[in-house]
Amino acid sequence: MNVRYILLVLIQLTWIPATAGAQTSRPNLEGMWSDPPSTAVGTFCFFACTDAGIERLNALLDDPANDARPFRELQAEAKKVEGDYIRARLSAAALKTYPLDPAEDPGFLRCEPWGLARQMLAPHQIEIRQRGADRIELRYGEWDARRTIYIDGRNRPANQSRSLLGYSVGRWDGEALVVETSDIAENIAFAPDLSLMQHSNQLRVIERYTRSKDGKTLLLTATMEDPQTFREPVVIKKIWLWAPQQKIAPYKDCRRPTEFSRGVKPQ
Amino acid sequence: MKLLRAWLFVMPVLVLSAARGSSHHAFSPVYDEKRTIMVVGVVTQFRFVNPHAMMFMDVTDPSGKVVKWAVEFAGRLNLSNVGWTADSIKSGERVTVTGNPSRTGSQRLFFRKLVRADGTELLPGDAQRLNSVEEERRQRALQRNQQR
Repeated sequence: MNVRYILLVLIQLTWIPATAGAQTSRPNLEGMWSDPPSTAVGTFCFFACTDAGIERLNALLDDPANDARPFRELQAEAKKVEGDYIRARLSAAALKTYPLDPAEDPGFLRCEPWGLARQMLAPHQIEIRQRGADRIELRYGEWDARRTIYIDGRNRPANQSRSLLGYSVGRWDGEALVVETSDIAENIAFAPDLSLMQHSNQLRVIERYTRSKDGKTLLLTATMEDPQTFREPVVIKKIWLWAPQQKIAPYKDCRRPTEFSRGVKPQ
Repeated sequence: MKLLRAWLFVMPVLVLSAARGSSHHAFSPVYDEKRTIMVVGVVTQFRFVNPHAMMFMDVTDPSGKVVKWAVEFAGRLNLSNVGWTADSIKSGERVTVTGNPSRTGSQRLFFRKLVRADGTELLPGDAQRLNSVEEERRQRALQRNQQR
């Protein structure tokens, strides 16, 4: 028998199952996702949350002494843990401006769309679509923002200019879509308690998207690194619910505020 | 005339809001979440748009003067999740609206509840969400008590 033929068969026997295995383990994240389930944890993570906050919330819910307290009260108490989580990780320079006055937010003052650190946590819809072999598009209901995630193994181009949503490359890691984004212009980030914090143009974000075993929810674990803003990486989570019936509506009626007060602490 | 004036008024309401509204669009600089007022009037326009839906209404004050009020809602994205459409509120409808007043005292409020003339109500999406969460909590407490 031809040696080349045997080698070819052996290569196929080892290569094909490996390739097939990789594809079958890749979940389909495509489609429309929207607001999280109407559960306690889903509501807690409506915008964003942390493991520490979820743990505190569950402890409060499991304590019979809290059965008569309104959920909003328990949620606020657990969000304080998240406020502490962020404060402990902010650099001395970042702590000087934290939390930012919401009345100074350019999104509020001038209808300027959000940067990546807020957009990835935007409430309501996120639509995930594969566009050809080399990219995935993420479209958000909030601001009707669109991101391109390059999944063909390319490197970030040299001299890539910084932008609101940065430059994103993605890869599959088992059942997770992992997206690394850099070249993000200086902007504002959400803390999980919804307070606002400034970040620098050194921000780098690693997003990890996974689908639940029952297929009904999409989970994001986002790690933010920014040596000028954070003393150590900040890890934030978010949940969406499968919502194939939803459509993203036009987003073009943002009006600049005509009346507001500065320096009001969010309640 | 007395009857007419009776349903056209603005008054403070002793109801604490159940949820924060639309804070991702800077709620706190504009509205006072700690206070709630009620406004009764006739709808002149409902705009079912993003980022925030808006309603405009004519409210007659005790002196008989018609004053324009603006009511701000969560966005269309949020409201449509709980079944609202562009036709949920119609021009010409007499409505009673409860909401958070503006900090500047202008004729503007953030929506918490709307009651039509026939008594039917419209509530924001987070009210329905909170009902589900409270039911989950009741079930959780029940299971906890059964395990004891």
